[in-house]
Amino acid sequence: MTSVVEIVKGFVSLIVGMGVTIKAFFSPVVTVQYPRKTINITPRFRGHTKLVADSERPERTKCIVCGMCERNCPSKSIKKITGEKLEGEKKKTATQYILDFTTCSQCGICVETCPVDALEFSADYNPVGYKREDFHYDLVKEFEKRRQKL
Amino acid sequence: MVKTIFEDIKNSIKGIEINEVSYAERGYHLAVEATKGNLLNIIGLLDKKRFYIADMCCVDYVEYLEIVYLFNNHSSLCRIKVSLKVDPERPVAPTISHIYTMAHWYEREIYEFFGVYFEGHDKLIYLFLHDGIDFYPLRKQRVPVSAEDMKLLNSFKPREEEDTFFVNLGPQHPSTHGVLRVVIKMDGEYVVSAEPVLGYLHRMHEKMAENRTYQQFLPNPARMDYPGALLFNLAHVAAVEKLCGIEVPERAQYIRTITCELNRVASHLLWIGAFLADLGGLTPFLYAFDDRENILDILEAVTGSRLTYCYFRFGGLYNDVDDNFVSETKKFVKRMRERFIMYEKLITKNVIFINRVKGIGTIKQDMVPKYGFSGPTIRSTGIPFDMRTHEPYAAYDKIDFEIPTGTVGDNMDRYTVRLSEMAICLDIIEKAIAKLPSGPINADKVPKKLKPPKGDIYHAVESTRGETGVYIVSDESDKPYRMRWRVPSFSNLMTFPALAKGSLLADAIATMGSFDLVIPEIDR
Amino acid sequence: MNELKCIISIIGEETTRAVIGLVGVMILVVVNALILTWAERKVAGHMQRRIAAKEVGPFGLIQPIADSLKLLCKELITPHHAERPLFYLAPTLIFLPVLVSFVVIPFDAYLQVKDINVGILVILAFSSLSVLSILIAGWGSNNKYSLIGSIRSVAQNIAYEIPLLLSLLPIIIIAQSFSLRDIVEAQKGLWFVVYQPFAFLIFFTASVAETNRTPFDLPEAESELVAGFHTEYSGMRFALFFLAEYTNIFIVSAIATTFFLGGYNGPILPGIIWFFIKTYFLVFVILWMRWTFPRVRFDQLLNLSWKILIPVALVNLIVTGGILKL
Repeated sequence: MTSVVEIVKGFVSLIVGMGVTIKAFFSPVVTVQYPRKTINITPRFRGHTKLVADSERPERTKCIVCGMCERNCPSKSIKKITGEKLEGEKKKTATQYILDFTTCSQCGICVETCPVDALEFSADYNPVGYKREDFHYDLVKEFEKRRQKL
Repeated sequence: MVKTIFEDIKNSIKGIEINEVSYAERGYHLAVEATKGNLLNIIGLLDKKRFYIADMCCVDYVEYLEIVYLFNNHSSLCRIKVSLKVDPERPVAPTISHIYTMAHWYEREIYEFFGVYFEGHDKLIYLFLHDGIDFYPLRKQRVPVSAEDMKLLNSFKPREEEDTFFVNLGPQHPSTHGVLRVVIKMDGEYVVSAEPVLGYLHRMHEKMAENRTYQQFLPNPARMDYPGALLFNLAHVAAVEKLCGIEVPERAQYIRTITCELNRVASHLLWIGAFLADLGGLTPFLYAFDDRENILDILEAVTGSRLTYCYFRFGGLYNDVDDNFVSETKKFVKRMRERFIMYEKLITKNVIFINRVKGIGTIKQDMVPKYGFSGPTIRSTGIPFDMRTHEPYAAYDKIDFEIPTGTVGDNMDRYTVRLSEMAICLDIIEKAIAKLPSGPINADKVPKKLKPPKGDIYHAVESTRGETGVYIVSDESDKPYRMRWRVPSFSNLMTFPALAKGSLLADAIATMGSFDLVIPEIDR
Repeated sequence: MNELKCIISIIGEETTRAVIGLVGVMILVVVNALILTWAERKVAGHMQRRIAAKEVGPFGLIQPIADSLKLLCKELITPHHAERPLFYLAPTLIFLPVLVSFVVIPFDAYLQVKDINVGILVILAFSSLSVLSILIAGWGSNNKYSLIGSIRSVAQNIAYEIPLLLSLLPIIIIAQSFSLRDIVEAQKGLWFVVYQPFAFLIFFTASVAETNRTPFDLPEAESELVAGFHTEYSGMRFALFFLAEYTNIFIVSAIATTFFLGGYNGPILPGIIWFFIKTYFLVFVILWMRWTFPRVRFDQLLNLSWKILIPVALVNLIVTGGILKL
């Protein structure tokens, strides 16, 4: 049998709890109505990787087609890297770099192991598509598209 | 303590092979080679001395199978490894489930993954795998499952009784926190027996570890325990560093501590929301997620991910933190302290909540060594056991903090222990930020292809749910020979059938919620 | 007006009043359900610091219409071995007693369908019928979870009928009448809540339990039993259960207003507006409680009724009777 004091204390605790929710009722909302408003993405966000332009020859990427990222990827997401050696150059340049983003776990091992720092994370936080093939990115083509925009 | 145990064991059991090993290299103090004859004596002696089983696993060295038992003590650090060699052709070992109740499930797991038959075990049925396995998965060669083993593994049949009916709690259910199925036999409103069925999320992380290099395995621990991903990441990285003898610079240790504590707060907030949602109060869930968003924003600015972090590397960190991190964290700590007052008014003092939670799911202190609990569950019974003080790692030995304990071990105590832990986490973060040194964040010479020396090592970390341990056996190649994860939710879940017996269904669900189970880490 | 007099001369005043009253009541019930679906979501959203129901119409006002259209278009699934007559009967049966209760509530001084002189007894008698329909719903579904939910609900409803009645008796004694209009008229000076605060609290708690709302919503406990006794119902049948629940909330708030908060009495504004303000304030409190408290366990729920509410209500009744005698 509960005593009168306990019943009163219990009742008061209920009223205090209701006070908390009514205070929240009159407070502003903390949600952001996406997609009508968007938030800024931090610069270190790990979207899919992208190729970085070579500082001396900005029309090309830094990638030298060594295959370190392909060998070290835990999920085997980097499917094919092809390159060609142009006239008068010492190292190869990349012509095709297929990344299967559907199996990528954004671990950053490819970015770390690249000997020339050719890969970087992009800030693409909302990629959309209708089929799985929409997420098989060719990073060289994406690089070209970005250069066209500039 | 180690010396006394060494002498005791040497003197009590005749002809026993026991050696002292270097703790810094191996993670355990004593190595005992047992035989089938004296295994039960050794285990009985350790049970009398109140040791608990930290982990029990099996390693397949092709000429023999070795069953490894790792024991530890709650009061002082003394880790003992007992190993038993069995014949690979027809592996048989005596069961220890009558001495240690927790060995019941570990032996089922070893049976279905390796084929080791435990004599005297009453229910060797599937634990993680289900019907359709033709060969033992974790053996190095393809060993087919014999017909009688297949029959034994398949023999799970819920026993019917008069006046009872079966209710399946899950695998899709709002209150099972993951894909866990519990087969509950009910008599009216009362639970007669509760039997968890696991394996719905089994992804063979341990087999993956054998096929990937140490560096390639880095994203996997975060997928095991997603709310507390940084802590699992730390367990993996710290174990490999200990094996290779890599020294981590101080700044990296402090940053590891700060981010791990932030992750711990985030995980406990998720637990509060889910626990209250089980009990029927749907609003605190959203308040907890509001706070959690702040933490996730801070950690996103540092690591780039919001849930499954892959931030620590062997020898240090992926990238450094900036001043923005320090200021945002200080702001967060101040804000969170005020929010605790709100949680207390809304939840802790609420009479309906107290009546639902007090006195329910009580764990008695003598159950503790038999089941190997860890984490807030054991601290709620009054034993102040925390791996951060028991076996310090990262920067925890340089920071003073208290360990909150409960008294009785019921759901209310687990709730208050976790709330106090969150407050203490904020204290640790403040002290660590004040002491943050400058300097490099990565160790100097870490080889790209990590080839650790031959041997095995066990390293344990206090994750949000308890003691998380990694047992690595290395054979000097760049891939681990065997990597075994000891997860806290697995040993915490084992007590649920005992606690749920005889209670109401609502109480059983509240108890399960208070354990803070994360099924992906149980199923690995 | 002439057409009205014509109709009255043909069928008689009583019948006209009944027909107009019933049409008005039906409209009120439907409008109330629409308002409450919207209000529940908005209250829940803002208490959780988010905006709920924003897209459909300004402030989400057209959301309930979208919800009802969706429910109308859904397929009516009947489980395989369900008892068909019982299964089909339950949603209709839960709805009828509520409509009857509307007949005697005084919305304004003369806006009452029929002022029966045992008004409150009519309401209490018919609200007990809803227990029967919950039982029929649970049994007819042929589903373990529905059966458990409906059994719990029946036990809960029966247990809380008694404090409900016992807390209304002191008011009846003070006002010396069973008719609702007389009770409201007797509050012209001072509202009864000032004389009988305990009776108000007991009545409010018991009525929240009667309508199966949190913290007493164990029969529909989402995290335990999927959805309780209305698990197997889909489409419009489910909508009828929900309609009945929201109308029940309105009815108990209306009764609480009539008995304790002075009904339609109030300065300046017309009586009917005061009535709706007070009733909807109590409805808001019931919605507010849902989003604040966790659920009470079943045996604690029954303990609360039999061991706490009934003794307090009895003591209150005896003390009131004693004071009035002296």
